[in-house]
Amino acid sequence: MKVINTNLNQHIATSLEKFSQKGGEKVSNYVNAAGKAVIAPLVIMHNPFTKENEENRKWASIKQPVEAVITLAMQLVSLGLLYKGIDSLIKKGKINFKYVENAAKDISKIPEKILKACNYDKEKALEMYKSQYNEIFKDRLGAVVTTITYLPVLALSNKIYPKIAEKIVNKNENKSAQ
Amino acid sequence: MKINPLNKLAQSEMLNKHINKVIKDDMFGAKTLVALNVTKDVFAYAIRFKTTMQNEKIPEEKRPFVASMDLMSGVVTAIMQIGVGFSLANPKIQNKIWDKFFKNCNFQDIVSAKKGFSQIMALIGSTVLAERILVPLIATPFAEKFEKKFFPHKNNQNSNEFKFISIEEFNKDIKDYSK
Repeated sequence: MKVINTNLNQHIATSLEKFSQKGGEKVSNYVNAAGKAVIAPLVIMHNPFTKENEENRKWASIKQPVEAVITLAMQLVSLGLLYKGIDSLIKKGKINFKYVENAAKDISKIPEKILKACNYDKEKALEMYKSQYNEIFKDRLGAVVTTITYLPVLALSNKIYPKIAEKIVNKNENKSAQ
Repeated sequence: MKINPLNKLAQSEMLNKHINKVIKDDMFGAKTLVALNVTKDVFAYAIRFKTTMQNEKIPEEKRPFVASMDLMSGVVTAIMQIGVGFSLANPKIQNKIWDKFFKNCNFQDIVSAKKGFSQIMALIGSTVLAERILVPLIATPFAEKFEKKFFPHKNNQNSNEFKFISIEEFNKDIKDYSK
């Protein structure tokens, strides 16, 4: 059992390194969608602190996974396109960061922890610094795009969710009537 | 000459300072991630509330509770996410959890791993623990109270008359109430 735990921790540890290098916006959206789809409906349905009738709670809880799926799909497409576009511009040299340019001229401008992680290899450190800059830049723009996509997401979800909720609630009512 | 707005942004002092601070300071990076999530959520919940109230496809008698749930979730989410997310981004708590799970693991780049860990911790704390478990638990009874206060038909369950107010009337009520 200890071996399994150690392996699992090692696997998580490796993923943490990848996460840090890839930035947070996409993962943040995955975590958000998973929580909304799975945990939120359960908590709404089985909340001991409310006397709200079951049917209303069913309606409120069905909204969560429907919205989570639509949100994630829309965000994956929009962020995918955005990140691809930015990567392409960076590759063509059309986006250049001021501090990275300064660091290329004077290596001491690179944060100490990056230099240390690269064993003070200047080229490697500059590459890592640049790569982290690119990822954080994409994340910040991604956050803006994610916020904007909520408008079409919620419009679509408001159209789809009542139909699904009605079907599920009616189906359950018919079952209990039988 | 064509000006590339993204490059202009990449050259701005403010953005460069911000990115540099995120790279240097893991805790600042984690807190920024939580703050961004809260901003996105507050925006989304505000839109959700407005659109739910206007959504005629949701049966009228269900609409007040669904909309109240959206509004109360937004308010409680902002407070809880900042509280839980920022607490979990605390270096002392992070170091304790790190030592418990990853002390004996091998890392190619422990600096990146620790940065990823602080961000994931803050993210899971704020979006899963706070937003999805604590928020619905707290927001549901609040939504129930809010619904009864502002959608009075619920106070008279035996009445067949359903009084549903428009978003404009609701906004007016809220303003009057806050006065």
